[in-house]
Amino acid sequence: MDNLTYVAFIAVTVSLALMLPLMEKKLRRLVVFMITGIFSCLFVSELNNILLEAFRNDMFFVTTTITPVTEEIVKMIPILFLAIVVSDERRIVIPNAFAVGVGFALLENVVILTQNVENVTILWALVRGFGSGLVHGICTVMVGWGISYIKKRRKFFYCGTFALLSAAIIYHAIYNLLVQSEYQYVGIVLPIMTYIPIICFLRKKGVKAIGTSES
Amino acid sequence: MYLYLSLALTVSAGIGFGYGLYRFFRDKSALYVQMIVFGVGCAMLGRLFTTLLYLVNGELNDGFNVGMLGIIGSFLFFFSANYGQMDSIVDDGSTKFRKTRIIALAAPVTVAAIWCVIAATSGINALSIWVGIEMLFVALASYFHLKHLIIEDVSFGLIRAIRSYNLLSLVYALLCISEVLVDVLNLPAAFSVIVCVLECAVLLAFIPVLERGVKKWTT
Repeated sequence: MDNLTYVAFIAVTVSLALMLPLMEKKLRRLVVFMITGIFSCLFVSELNNILLEAFRNDMFFVTTTITPVTEEIVKMIPILFLAIVVSDERRIVIPNAFAVGVGFALLENVVILTQNVENVTILWALVRGFGSGLVHGICTVMVGWGISYIKKRRKFFYCGTFALLSAAIIYHAIYNLLVQSEYQYVGIVLPIMTYIPIICFLRKKGVKAIGTSES
Repeated sequence: MYLYLSLALTVSAGIGFGYGLYRFFRDKSALYVQMIVFGVGCAMLGRLFTTLLYLVNGELNDGFNVGMLGIIGSFLFFFSANYGQMDSIVDDGSTKFRKTRIIALAAPVTVAAIWCVIAATSGINALSIWVGIEMLFVALASYFHLKHLIIEDVSFGLIRAIRSYNLLSLVYALLCISEVLVDVLNLPAAFSVIVCVLECAVLLAFIPVLERGVKKWTT
């Protein structure tokens, strides 16, 4: 059998890529960044396998200390590219940052599903959907917020982005720590409790919903 | 005991962060103060991770643990607020402030000296290297805190109004370093408790002190 991570990657991205020619520019960019997020997950999965071996397969240590760092840095790269090459406007950066996070979570969930296919339940799907999907989305949005200062205020960009990246890594590590402990239900609630105020805050700040006018 | 100390710090930072969100994010406030609120929030996240690690694992990792990023992130936010926003207003780069700039170097030099003590005591290992990285960010922020504490106010009372905040930040920096020092020098647990109580007090006082200073900007 071929590597299931690659099988899942091809199955998901090809379907999404075929949709691209039919989309208008703004939605197309969003889906492109979602695919980028999926690719980031593929890259990170290979990197994490190497790191897992390097740390003697200590899954708990790697997932609470190492992978939050690698995953958040890799997810940051496409957003940095967007801000430098396309636009650093917050109403463009934030939705696309969320798309990268969701794309990342999508492949991660599919891979974990294929690895535990005999144990998964509807509850598992809800936990992964709300938990992992939101955690990756929220973390990438946090970093994207700092990156949006890249052209406007360079001094803020350098320090602020790294500070927000630190916050995103800790948040991610807290989630990973909780879902592997006996307090996993707290881990599930955590992203939802964070998502609602962030959405309210972004709406208040004038970041428009995905697909609405950017002009 | 360390679990409870860490929990106390998480709760104190959480209260400070919550109060900051309530005071400075309802209406439009200066980015400077919002960055400081984020700094307290980052400290809370770091402490929360450490608390949960104690709870789940019973101990912290040797060397790097993600909780360290809480301190790095919070001091980066403080540094970013001072360097990115305030410093260009209070220091025009002229020779008039050269003396202040030189005196302010005392803060990072002190931090570096304390790191040397840590490295000499524990040797160059994973812990001392990671503590060194952590202290680098503390040193960067402390330079601006000391500078803004002693600089002559030529900007209509702008910097004078937040001197108490800058003093508090310096104290916080010192306490964060003391926390490591107590651990490395294997000092009695009572020292950990004292440092923790003081840190809790500073984390609780951060935003109200800043708020009092910021109010003077508009009056």
